[in-house]
Amino acid sequence: MATIMAATAAERAVLEEEFRWLLHDEVHAVLRQLQDILKEASLRFTLPGSGAEGPTKQENFILGSCGTDQVKGVLTLQGDALSQADVNLKMPRNNQLLHFAFREDKQWKLQQIQDARNHVSQAIYLLTSRDESYQFKTGAEVLKLMDAVMLQLTRARNRLTTPATLTLPEIAASGLTRMFAPALPSDLLVNVYINLNKLCLTVYQLHALQPNSTKNFRPAGGAVLHSPGAMFEWGSQRLEVSHVHKVECVVPWLNDALVYFTVSLQLCQQLKDKVSVFSSYWSYRPF
Amino acid sequence: MRTSLQAVALWGQKAPPHSITAIMITDDQRTIVTGSQEGQLCLWNLSHELKISAKELLFGHSASVTCLARARDFSKQPYVVSAAENGEMCVWNVTSGQCVKKATLPYRHTAICYYHCSFRMTGEGWLLCCGEYQDVLIIDAKTLAVVHSFRSSQFPDWINCMCIVHSMRIQEDSLLVVSVAGELKVWDLSSSINSIQEKQDVYEKESKFLESLNCQTIRFCSYTERLLLVVFSKCWKVYDYCNFSLLLTEVSRNGQFFAGGEVIAAHRILIWTEDGHSYIYQLLNRWAQMGAAYKTFSGLSKSIYPFDGRGLKETVYPHLLCCTSVQENKSCPFVMGYMNERKEPFYKVLFSGEVSGRITLWHIPDVPVSKFDGSPREIPITTTWTLQDNFDKHDTMSHSIIDYFSGFKDGAGTALVTSSEYIPSLDKLICGCEDGTIIITQALNAAKARLLEGSSLVKDSPPYKVLKGHYQSVTSLLYPHGLSSKLDQSWMLSGDLDSCVILWDIFTEEILHKFFLEAGPVTSLLMSPEKFKLMGDQIICCVCSDHSVALLHLEGKSCLLHARKHLFPVKMIKWHPVENFLIVGCADDSVYIWEIETGTLERHETGERAQIILNCCDDSQLVKAESVLPVASETLKHKSIEQRSSCPYQLGPIPCPGLQVESSRKVADAKFFPRPFSVLPVKIKWSNIGFHILLFDLENLVELLLPTPLSDIDSSSSFYGGEVLRRARSTVEKKTLTLRKSKTACGPLSAEAQAKPLTESLAQGDNAIKFLEENDVIKRQKKMKISKKIQPKPSRKVDASLTIDTAKLFLSCLLPWGVDKDLDYLCIKHLNILKLQGPVSLGLASNEVYFSLMLPGWDLCNTEMIKDCSGVNLFSRKVLDLSNKYTATLPNQVGVPRGLDKNCDFLQESNTIVYLLSRLFLVNKLVNMPLELACRVGSSFRMECVHNKVRSAGNDILNMSSFYSCSRNGKNASNVPEADLSLLKLISCWRDQSVQVTEAIQAVLLAEVQHHMKSLGKIPVNSQPVSGAENGNCEMKQMLPRLEWTEELELQCIRNTLPLQTPVSPVKHDSNSNSANFQDAKDMPDRCALEESESPGEPRHHSWIAKVCPCKVC
Repeated sequence: MATIMAATAAERAVLEEEFRWLLHDEVHAVLRQLQDILKEASLRFTLPGSGAEGPTKQENFILGSCGTDQVKGVLTLQGDALSQADVNLKMPRNNQLLHFAFREDKQWKLQQIQDARNHVSQAIYLLTSRDESYQFKTGAEVLKLMDAVMLQLTRARNRLTTPATLTLPEIAASGLTRMFAPALPSDLLVNVYINLNKLCLTVYQLHALQPNSTKNFRPAGGAVLHSPGAMFEWGSQRLEVSHVHKVECVVPWLNDALVYFTVSLQLCQQLKDKVSVFSSYWSYRPF
Repeated sequence: MRTSLQAVALWGQKAPPHSITAIMITDDQRTIVTGSQEGQLCLWNLSHELKISAKELLFGHSASVTCLARARDFSKQPYVVSAAENGEMCVWNVTSGQCVKKATLPYRHTAICYYHCSFRMTGEGWLLCCGEYQDVLIIDAKTLAVVHSFRSSQFPDWINCMCIVHSMRIQEDSLLVVSVAGELKVWDLSSSINSIQEKQDVYEKESKFLESLNCQTIRFCSYTERLLLVVFSKCWKVYDYCNFSLLLTEVSRNGQFFAGGEVIAAHRILIWTEDGHSYIYQLLNRWAQMGAAYKTFSGLSKSIYPFDGRGLKETVYPHLLCCTSVQENKSCPFVMGYMNERKEPFYKVLFSGEVSGRITLWHIPDVPVSKFDGSPREIPITTTWTLQDNFDKHDTMSHSIIDYFSGFKDGAGTALVTSSEYIPSLDKLICGCEDGTIIITQALNAAKARLLEGSSLVKDSPPYKVLKGHYQSVTSLLYPHGLSSKLDQSWMLSGDLDSCVILWDIFTEEILHKFFLEAGPVTSLLMSPEKFKLMGDQIICCVCSDHSVALLHLEGKSCLLHARKHLFPVKMIKWHPVENFLIVGCADDSVYIWEIETGTLERHETGERAQIILNCCDDSQLVKAESVLPVASETLKHKSIEQRSSCPYQLGPIPCPGLQVESSRKVADAKFFPRPFSVLPVKIKWSNIGFHILLFDLENLVELLLPTPLSDIDSSSSFYGGEVLRRARSTVEKKTLTLRKSKTACGPLSAEAQAKPLTESLAQGDNAIKFLEENDVIKRQKKMKISKKIQPKPSRKVDASLTIDTAKLFLSCLLPWGVDKDLDYLCIKHLNILKLQGPVSLGLASNEVYFSLMLPGWDLCNTEMIKDCSGVNLFSRKVLDLSNKYTATLPNQVGVPRGLDKNCDFLQESNTIVYLLSRLFLVNKLVNMPLELACRVGSSFRMECVHNKVRSAGNDILNMSSFYSCSRNGKNASNVPEADLSLLKLISCWRDQSVQVTEAIQAVLLAEVQHHMKSLGKIPVNSQPVSGAENGNCEMKQMLPRLEWTEELELQCIRNTLPLQTPVSPVKHDSNSNSANFQDAKDMPDRCALEESESPGEPRHHSWIAKVCPCKVC
């Protein structure tokens, strides 16, 4: 019977020895590994102030969709900010070509990237505060540290994987629409966000609803991508989305970062599991 | 938790873990507030001699506390705001421990500053918050709603730390912040109040890049109004506030991380590190040194200082004066703070909190000086304290609920309870212990044995069973019948560390089956919802610590499926009844779909798709209440919105699609099941230390006790009349309804079947309740009847003796024992209640989720009380004053007729108890009444008014109206309403004076008991003959053969009620007012019952003995 495995003294001694090894050696090995991975990840985000000073390098991304070529965008990413944007829009009705660009003096912060970067650096900070010289005394201590680190990592990942759901008035009110040099015509809305490893640009074409129109007006809720027909009220006007154009481009380093997040999350969980094996001891016996 | 629910905590020997993440001292230097990773707040009493003692634990947050701050002008309102990792914010009153306001916003704050500008602002001021979002949020301190934000035009980023600068010189308040990237920004505060209130964007006035990362603290030197101290994790810097030019940089040595700092005097700063060290520096000015200061600090001139030739106007360098350290260095991160009090007792205090839960205080001398040789002086630790110290010091209060039993088992040492489950229908408490035994005991008895002073009767009687079958610590328990009445009521499941699950028969104490899962410790046992059935039965789901899920079929004694592929802890389990799918949600937001029949993994999804799947099958969900959930959600949270870890894109609060987490079922039971008494096992995150909370439902107690006199009255003509039955049934039906609503299993019993025992107990009347033999007879009868019916025991059986025992235990817990020795004696004698072993840890509920629990040793926190430590359970000194005031308003007239009933009598006793309880209930309601209601009550003294207003004020208060109406009933009577009115006024007054509920309750109880007992005891105690007569009565009582006695009793019941109906009765003529009351009472029998219990001076309370005695009635 398995239950008659009441652990003998010798077995217990071995287990305790093993647990001590886990707390004193293995935990630090894992923490070091985690730090290396996360530092690698944070390099991708080009943390300002850390390492090389000077302007962070600029990357150009050409955004397109496989289907139509109605919208083309060239976005320039500088760390967590969009420093330049060129959007070409072919109007579906008259094939007229519209061109917009960012004003020279303006930058648009991509808050998703900034948040993800900040979460990663918080996680790194948590890890560096327990360096080799720090001695873990209980398993619970390790679990708490891992929980804190995992919390930051999950948030970092979620920031990239789940773009904010915005309502149309919120998009209209956002500063992004005011960034363009020839100001955007009032019947256009632009939104930029990160979805997983992709930089996405959406352009909404609007038309005003007649005040006496028979369509019953139902304002659309928040969404990452609104579909044609979504209605909203802006100022005194009621507007409806007539066309939606979405173009995107893979950002390679975002992909790397996401992979790093996943790997380090798994490392954390594995360490937690290892500690949990000895759960029968940790709360009573500090080492 | 409803407000009528009173909680008493039974702590174990081990203090609950409290890993301090935030610490502050209130402005009056009387209280230390700490926030913990587990989500609780702890209030520590700080005496004038700087001694610490833990006072109470505040439950409410379901995630780690991130920061604490003052939330009002502390001298006016002692409010503190706390913010948690998941966006919860809560304002607490730290003197009463009540939650004043709570909110959940989609923002995680890491620092909060309270700002109030009295002459420009209306309202209670702002909470300026920063955290894991861009810029600074402004939150209204009263409503906790977002007012607006301070925006930055350049480099918007997360803000690490901030401080408010009140500059006398320029008469302007400014907000200084440092961002994550090291950008210092300044906003005008006082001059932008108007623009903020008009929701205009306010941008920073200045900004400067500080060239360092991980800023920890920014502080302004208010003494010189010149210097700015900025502490980074690797260095600290001093800037000139006028132009933000760098004056000084000090880099950390030997790998220490700085954690914070404060300016403690002009040119004197205090810096502390993450490992608990602190350093006091004197900032020396190179030029000033040449002058007068040169002489003062001439001894220091030897020290070398870094001279940077940057051409600054002033050059400052630090000189280390003093340092502090903790004994065992290199432990966990410390959170520290510094407090400089300008009022008495003028202490400068440096304080620190550790992850281990230890608080350390250093009293910083007013003029810190280095040693004569110039080397730094070490400042000794003034005080250090942990929660566990409190538990060790007051060990009478820190015994777990079953210590008494486990003590039986093996003389040495008691077993630690690792898991427990309360079965409300049987009033049984099952405790799984560390050594693998499972103890089953009657909860009320166990509580009595634990709390009350040992009368041998209590000590010997509590029966308990010990189940032995596990060889490892028991980690989880499940009583399936409690969740679904279809399952056998004798079944109980337990899982242990060795992943062995045992199915028990709790009545025969047999092992029915052992499942060996070989998957690590069993973390939780769950049951499929009623609509999900496999092979016609509900199945048990067992989550193990290797993240596997096993499905057990109890009837077939087999394991159906063992799903082992999960990489991350299981967070959620859902069932798809149609297609027989088991859907498992993991901590990494991935979803696994298992086909139960074949045991194959059907799908594995992550990300968005996983979210959709989980949201899809909402209706067939069984949420796993994780055993490690923080107390708050584990216990009293019914539905918590779990914040999805997605930050808002913009400042406007974006509704985060939250996951509705229904907490553990037993909790729902405890909440919805209107039972007078229940036990709530509580477990704290990251540990296996648990404790129990006894819950007394005051409202329900009163309800249950009141129907008894009611039956006395209107059933005199038809004792078993349809009237009673109908009423009883209707109440039962009503309860069944709520029962069904709350998804509690209520069994296949019809309302009639349930009503029977109820009417039975009604029929018995409470005459019989306290007489022990009689009691036994009832019990036996009931048992007989139940066994005859061959039906499962009605789950909502109202056991009269249990109810009255509960009431007595409750009163014992509330009475301030030892204040008045005579009174104690009288209480024990007349109320037949027992003295407490020690002070109880009372709980105070603020609302359904937030509550506070006193810690062992709370009674010594009130310093003034130590001087005359007479009372054992006196909540505060105020209680005595309050109770005196209450006694003064108590009408004397009522006392007069009371003198008549001088006999110790069981009917009387239970009536007194009911009376006391209803009083307490009323007080509880009054003090808890919403404020706006209270205002109206205060403005109108007329009873009618009170009554009407109360009626209009929603369901909860409606309950109270019965009490009002009863006092209104008696309005035509001479003295009662006036007296009550003044009492009501008095109690309303208390609420305005912010008297705590517990204090009010105890004061009223003390006054009422004094009033009652003194009038009772006056004659027996003082004059010998009467007490002799009493003894004679007792003898007579004993002489009566039992059978005759019961018959007699029934007769008396009728006789007892008869005179009530006919005002001609000689007894009635004692007071006209009372007979008038009963005229009313006929019309409204309900209220009459209440009325009677309200004014105990009535003749109805005349004991049966009075009537047996020929001289009085016959």
